[in-house]
Amino acid sequence: MQPVLELTNCEREPIQWPGFIQSHGYLLVLDPITFTVWQASENTDLLTGLSIEDRIGKSVDNISIGDLSGSILQELLKVAMRNSTPEAFNPYSVTINGQLWYVLLHKHDGALIVELEPKEATRGGLSLSMTTLLTQTMSDVQRSTTLTELMEKTVQKVKAVTGFDRVMIYRFGEDWNGEVIAEAREEELEPFLGLFYPASDIPKQARELYKINLVRNIVDVNEPRVPIYPINYATYNRPLDLTHTGLRAVSPIHIEYLQNMGVRSSMSISLMYRGELWGLISCHHYSGPRFIDYATRQSVKLVSQILSTALEIRQNDEDAAFSRQLHDHEQTLYQQMLTDWDIVQGLTKHPINALDQNTATGMALLFEGALHTLGDTPTENDIMSLIEWLKATTSEVVFQTNQLPNLYTPAELFREKAAGVLMLVLSREMNEYLLWFKPEQIHSVSWGGNPEKPVEVSNGGEVRLSPRKSFEKWSQLVRNKAVPWQQVEVATALKLREDLLQLVARKANQIRVLNEQLRLAYEELEAFSYTVSHDLRAPLSSIKSYSEIYLEDYGLQMDDEAKAIFGKVIKATDRMSMLIRNVMQYSLMSRTDLAPDLLAMKTLLHQVREEVLVSENESRVTVSIGDTPDLHGDQTMVTQVFTNLLANAIKYSRHLDRATITVQGRETEQEIIYAVTDQGIGIDMKQAGKVFELFQRLDTAAKYEGNGVGLAIVKRIMNRHRGKVWFESLPHQFTTFYVSFPK
Amino acid sequence: MLDILYIEDNSDEADVFKRVVSRLPKPPTYTVLSNGSEALNYLLQKGIYEGQPAPMPRFVLIDLNLPGHSGFEVIQQVRGASLTRYLPLVVYSSSDNPKDIRRAYDLGANAYLIKPGSYHEVSTIMRGAIEFWLAQSQYMP
Repeated sequence: MQPVLELTNCEREPIQWPGFIQSHGYLLVLDPITFTVWQASENTDLLTGLSIEDRIGKSVDNISIGDLSGSILQELLKVAMRNSTPEAFNPYSVTINGQLWYVLLHKHDGALIVELEPKEATRGGLSLSMTTLLTQTMSDVQRSTTLTELMEKTVQKVKAVTGFDRVMIYRFGEDWNGEVIAEAREEELEPFLGLFYPASDIPKQARELYKINLVRNIVDVNEPRVPIYPINYATYNRPLDLTHTGLRAVSPIHIEYLQNMGVRSSMSISLMYRGELWGLISCHHYSGPRFIDYATRQSVKLVSQILSTALEIRQNDEDAAFSRQLHDHEQTLYQQMLTDWDIVQGLTKHPINALDQNTATGMALLFEGALHTLGDTPTENDIMSLIEWLKATTSEVVFQTNQLPNLYTPAELFREKAAGVLMLVLSREMNEYLLWFKPEQIHSVSWGGNPEKPVEVSNGGEVRLSPRKSFEKWSQLVRNKAVPWQQVEVATALKLREDLLQLVARKANQIRVLNEQLRLAYEELEAFSYTVSHDLRAPLSSIKSYSEIYLEDYGLQMDDEAKAIFGKVIKATDRMSMLIRNVMQYSLMSRTDLAPDLLAMKTLLHQVREEVLVSENESRVTVSIGDTPDLHGDQTMVTQVFTNLLANAIKYSRHLDRATITVQGRETEQEIIYAVTDQGIGIDMKQAGKVFELFQRLDTAAKYEGNGVGLAIVKRIMNRHRGKVWFESLPHQFTTFYVSFPK
Repeated sequence: MLDILYIEDNSDEADVFKRVVSRLPKPPTYTVLSNGSEALNYLLQKGIYEGQPAPMPRFVLIDLNLPGHSGFEVIQQVRGASLTRYLPLVVYSSSDNPKDIRRAYDLGANAYLIKPGSYHEVSTIMRGAIEFWLAQSQYMP
């Protein structure tokens, strides 16, 4: 997509030590104490009338520059050097041969560097006073509502002040590729707005230099550069570092690059953001050389610095507002989860939901075995497969990408929903994950020339970069990519994860407390059951026994009515005794551990039949047993199920002269189903809901003995076997109860 | 000589038992003790029975839910002592919980009778038990 090659001879080139200056000015390099000349640009011979060799080693007061005598220059230097930072008083104006010049001083690299450059009001000079420029710039900053608007005004202003044919703001993006985001140009020029330039166009050490020296003017790419004599200065065995000079000649590679683009003269001003190079104001001139004098450069620099500050403040404001909003939403979500005491509901069921946590357009939450989604997401299957892949791919608690399809090929099919993914691992053990999705942002990138082109292989096979020859617009479609996740989005997601996990832990603790309470309740129930079984049954048997004894001893003296009353007392104790026994069984069924076994159903059912028929008139009731597929279950409990079902069938057929009850088993792929059918009174389906409820009896059953526990026990046992129980009935025709046991 | 030692805390149950026994053609001899600790002293010749042993019963009828030592503990200790290792122990309890039944047999009970909760039924079951343990069953010589 962009050249990733960083081994460029451009990058290796020592651009701060070129050993050359541009030809429009003069350079002297002096001993900062004695003002002895260490180096001079070769063009100074025109002014001094001395051959270059003669000047070196001389004190500056022995050299006159044009009609500017050396002693005046020396006085100037003496005054400037009283202050340790001579650049503080730049520029110093002098007149040489009737022309106005600026003397620009700075100390660097152990030397006092003296630059002479024309003070030129005519060629592209400042058309506005500094005060006017400042006022206008400030008001532009204040009035612009958007960053784009501010950029527009800035390029127009810079163009007006400098007179360049084209002024652009070039913004560095990911990987240092740059995009032209604002442009002011002469009408006949082809627009560059929106074009991208590969990172190799402005190599790394150039960018480093731009961070230090904020303004560079290349006056005329066609003018040969002027060497500095000698190559190395003073006792240093190397050329002088020209980083801070305005006259520094740029790399011939860069000159060639500009020439290829048709640029005659250029200027660039750095835009800084938080100590890093954010972009450049880049000026091109095509029609001829363009020299921007020191004062104007300073003005433009000031404009760029104001812009940088505005950029920083605006960006900070925007970042802070975004960050505050995300933080507020995160707090809201946490509150919702707390208030609802439900993570899924708190995250998804309110106006502020998990989609307000960031710039995502879709969200999926896999929690407690269920998948919940919001907004625009891939299908459930796609999400589950994606989660599987993510689990295998990352061991971190958070994972993010803005180009999922490039990492995970199946995502190509849903890149319009999820080219960007931000995933939180809530719990690997519980398989719980929270994911956000962003759509692919298909955008066309128009490069200023084919970005692949600068890579060339030399004859020696060495890969090198060379300035591109073609600047024709070169378009490329960027696929599979979403807008990247911002740091604050990831940070907020992690905060949400913390809150969520804390809530899960609190809920888990609550469940533990509940479990403990449940255990205590069970223990109490156990004690209660014992009380019921023993302490309640004992007095009941006393009542019955004494009633029987009384009848035995005094029965002969009692009339029939008195005997009938005793008979009722005894019957009542029987009913109560049965009720207690059944309730005990019911509670036992849920507490007793299941001891499943493969049950021989034929034997079991025949035994049950025998038991339930013991008290019946055998000729009246027939229980026919059909197929008896074996099943897995707890012997005691399964026996109880069939005992209860058969006892019921017999009980509700009692009014018939002949009752036939059938038991029929069958086997399906998943389960064993038994049906118990009678032709008794039947069940009105209107009351179907009551049938399995504890202590519930139907109207029609009122005249039959019973207490409404039998079928409740059946239901409980079937639940414990993960089975089912249901029935079909037509009153006075048939009733069939079905029980199914899973295989 | 003692035929039956009945360990029962419920005086009504004891009452019904006495009546049933008294109505038998040849009433057996019996002693009723109302708690487990006393029963253990009696059978293991401890406490007030130490040095002056009471007659050993031909079988013991034990309720399980007793104050002090439970019926289970009585069974366990009686089975553990050499003197009473083979003494017939018949559980007589209102519990039909399979767990109780299994535990009683595990500890060494010889039989498990469920209290029927009615005078007539008690009568039937007791006649049977007495007939079996006193007349039919052979003792460890």
